[in-house]
Amino acid sequence: MPKTNVDLLQGTLDLLVLKTLSWGPAHGYAVARWIQQLTGEVLQVGEGSLYPALHRLEERGWVEAEWRLSEHNRRAKFYRLTAKGRQQLRVETTAWDQFVDAVGKVLRATGQPA
Amino acid sequence: MTGAPKWLRWSRLLPSDVRGEVDDELAFHLDMRTRDLVAAGMAPAAAREEAERQFGELRRIRDACVTIDERRQRRTHRTEVMTDMLQDLRLAARTLRRSPGFTATAVACIALGIGVTTTIFSAVNAILLRPLPYPRADELVAVYAQNPDRGIYGANVSWPDYASWRDESRALAALGMWTWTSLAVGGGAGEVERVEGSEVTANLFPLLGVRPVLGRAFSAGDQTPGRDRVALLSYGLWQRRFGGDRGVVGRSVQVDGLPYTVVGVMPPRFNFPQRGQLWVPFTVDQNAQERANRMYAGAIGRLKPGVTVEQARADLAAVSARLQREYPGDNFGWAAEVIPLRDDLVGDLRRPLLVFLGAVAFVLLIACANVANLMLARGATRQREVAIRVAIGAGRGRLVRQIMTESVLIAALGGALGVLLARYGVRLIALAFPDDVPFYISLHVDGATLLFAALTAGLTGVLFGVLPALRSTRLDVAASLRDGARDAGSSVARSRVRSALVVAEIALSLVLMAGAALLLRSYQALQGTDLGFEERGILSVRISLPLAKYPARATRAEFYDRLFERVRAMPGVQVVGSAQGIPFSGWNVQAELSVEGRPAPAAGQELDAHYQWITPDFFKAIGVPLERGRGFTAADRDSTSPVAIVNETLARRVFGGEDPIGRRMRIGGAGSSDPWATIVGVARDYRHYRLSEPMGPAIYFPYAAVPLLQQTLAIRTSLADPLALAPAVRAAIRELDPDVPAYEVQTFEQAVSRSLWRQRLQGQVLGTFALLALALAAVGLYGVVAYAVAQRTRELGVRMALGATRRDVVSLVLGQGARLTLAGVAIGAVASLALTRLLASLLYGVRATDPATLAGVSAVLAGVALAATYVPARRAARVDPLVAMRSE
Repeated sequence: MPKTNVDLLQGTLDLLVLKTLSWGPAHGYAVARWIQQLTGEVLQVGEGSLYPALHRLEERGWVEAEWRLSEHNRRAKFYRLTAKGRQQLRVETTAWDQFVDAVGKVLRATGQPA
Repeated sequence: MTGAPKWLRWSRLLPSDVRGEVDDELAFHLDMRTRDLVAAGMAPAAAREEAERQFGELRRIRDACVTIDERRQRRTHRTEVMTDMLQDLRLAARTLRRSPGFTATAVACIALGIGVTTTIFSAVNAILLRPLPYPRADELVAVYAQNPDRGIYGANVSWPDYASWRDESRALAALGMWTWTSLAVGGGAGEVERVEGSEVTANLFPLLGVRPVLGRAFSAGDQTPGRDRVALLSYGLWQRRFGGDRGVVGRSVQVDGLPYTVVGVMPPRFNFPQRGQLWVPFTVDQNAQERANRMYAGAIGRLKPGVTVEQARADLAAVSARLQREYPGDNFGWAAEVIPLRDDLVGDLRRPLLVFLGAVAFVLLIACANVANLMLARGATRQREVAIRVAIGAGRGRLVRQIMTESVLIAALGGALGVLLARYGVRLIALAFPDDVPFYISLHVDGATLLFAALTAGLTGVLFGVLPALRSTRLDVAASLRDGARDAGSSVARSRVRSALVVAEIALSLVLMAGAALLLRSYQALQGTDLGFEERGILSVRISLPLAKYPARATRAEFYDRLFERVRAMPGVQVVGSAQGIPFSGWNVQAELSVEGRPAPAAGQELDAHYQWITPDFFKAIGVPLERGRGFTAADRDSTSPVAIVNETLARRVFGGEDPIGRRMRIGGAGSSDPWATIVGVARDYRHYRLSEPMGPAIYFPYAAVPLLQQTLAIRTSLADPLALAPAVRAAIRELDPDVPAYEVQTFEQAVSRSLWRQRLQGQVLGTFALLALALAAVGLYGVVAYAVAQRTRELGVRMALGATRRDVVSLVLGQGARLTLAGVAIGAVASLALTRLLASLLYGVRATDPATLAGVSAVLAGVALAATYVPARRAARVDPLVAMRSE
């Protein structure tokens, strides 16, 4: 499969992060790895740009952070989705679905509308 | 919130290490990535490089994260502080609502305290603090003539002296001259009216820094006789008479019957002096060129920048000394007197205002002591609540802050109410002020006053809150919880503090009451002073004929004789007399007199006397009897060898035991060319200037010999209200000459009462404060004793069970109140003796250390205090021993 460089919209990155965290608390490196694995490395996110996104989400109260020991026994900052964040994830997922649906309809159309 | 562990609360207040945390987080990422790459087979160094490449711009990302985190932290901190404060406020509001009696009493005390303080401050601000409405007003000085050897201060300045001071002074940037006058103005809308005004030198308004809004100011040329018929109008006069017509400049108006050209209009809210509305140029006639003629005018100067008043005094003293050497005859003993202009305008208002300010500070202190006492009493009953909160982890600082929040809330409520009270109080004070205070004094609650009230309220809240807050949070938690609601170990210390507060309140009240009593007794003494004339049933009306229209004595006499005749014919009129200035009118003209056959007195020993030209019926009209000789008759009209009447003081001082009748005196010193006047009568002394001041020597000449332009009619009437005559008298004057307005139409009683306004105001204001203080102190004493009784219920029960009678109990409680009262009165008496000295210059007929006054107010205070103690004493006596001993 050829690797495509897709520039992610900021809102899209936020959505991916929220989704990732909905499985449970994780530190930034884990979030980055999951996103890469799941997208089959199609989306070559500059790994660093993940962090401002995480901190912004924390500022908005969608995620909470806590320092804990990681699986390798090192202090790491773990992020956890808040109730507000879970709500936000639902809203954004719906919006994304509608967006994809709408764009898809246009792309699959067979003729020019009257 | 109080349940949170202490270390966590503190850690939130410290700025956490945002940068360090971001660095750690990003380092962790890079390390993990490197480790995974090494695990996949890369060399460590290459792996590190690859990790950094994949990460992107490390520095930019790190900065972005730090910015976001710092913003978040600032916001959190802010909301936390706000939340704490809001929580304290809500808790305080709830606590206060739960004890409405306490809250109402405390707020009322503070409202009274702040109300009176703010009222007086607004007066002090208006009169003493607010700058005069001139640019760089602190450079302005009033300059008068003084002759300390003869006890003369604030005297008018002669023109030649003025010119010398102006030209030779190195301290003054400018010196202007003015003289008070009243002018009949006609033209524009309405009848001819008499307005206060002034003759001013051309440089006076420029040196004050005031320019006309319309037209031009006076020029030096306007002061030349013959070219001086020009006038400046006040803004108010322009609006009133000319409807604000901008075409008024260049128009002609009637001033004292002569046509004057309006050259300009002065800005709004400018009057000079005091309330003057019309200005004409100061001109110097032959008479005013004499150096010894100190008849008319005052001077106002502006100091050069950086020059002090002291320097100006020294500077003008040097010039005066030179003038004395050069003109020993005219200037012996005379020098310049330099006073900051504000002091000159404010004059004798300063001391009473400062006394008032001191008095309100006392009232406020008493109010604070009262509220502190209430809070201490409450603190005692709240110990259990405080102990519980300490037990569950509330720090002392937090508790102190919370109790302080309550006091600040009380102070804020009291302050708001106090400002409302002050608005009312300021209106009362403004009513008491006469209408001749300087124009720039306007009494109202302004921004500065509100700021003052807010600051005072804040300070008050801290003042009465801090002691109770510290006291009621200092306690032994375990003991308090174990002992239940009862006040435990600290009760002795606490009641000692409360007793001290009450003693202080009583002492402060006594000082205030002593001061008020002294001022009220002075006012009474003034009112009881024998005026020497009859003030009831007399209407006075002032008239000034314009010189231009009445240059000849014959025409003046014709006008006045016809007027006297008409007024005499009016129903209800008994006697009509006339002089230049009636008592309490402010007429104050003195001249040096010489006695026939006596050598000229030594320099500084001259005889100065008050003099007037009076009609035959003047003394009869105002009820002053002749002690010897005869009064004037219509036949006394010879001006070449006139007759005269002197008063008792002059007769005694000049002639001693000899009979003055038949002796001759004349106006002027050794070189006088006035005719000798033969004394035909001696009139009894009466008060002419003010109640507190005997008249001094006076001499009277017959009106018919020299009918002056200016007369003040004294009309004795049988009508209940002399003012009822006023319309008829005005009409009679208008019929004789419509260009001559009547003014200062008032009854003698009004004139006398007006002259006492300051003493009345002083007595009333301080009296009010003293009553407030007394009431507050009584409430405070009652509170302390009642609380002590409540605390001792059990002990009293035991005593009664052991055989103490109700009488014993009452005297036990009364004894406690009496001890506090006595201590307060003793301290207060000593303080009064020290402080009432400050009042000495405001007193009349009573000494500042008058023992009777002090004893009287002490007795009243003690009586009220005893009454305040008696109520709880009675309650104590009604205690049922059984119930009391069972109660816990």
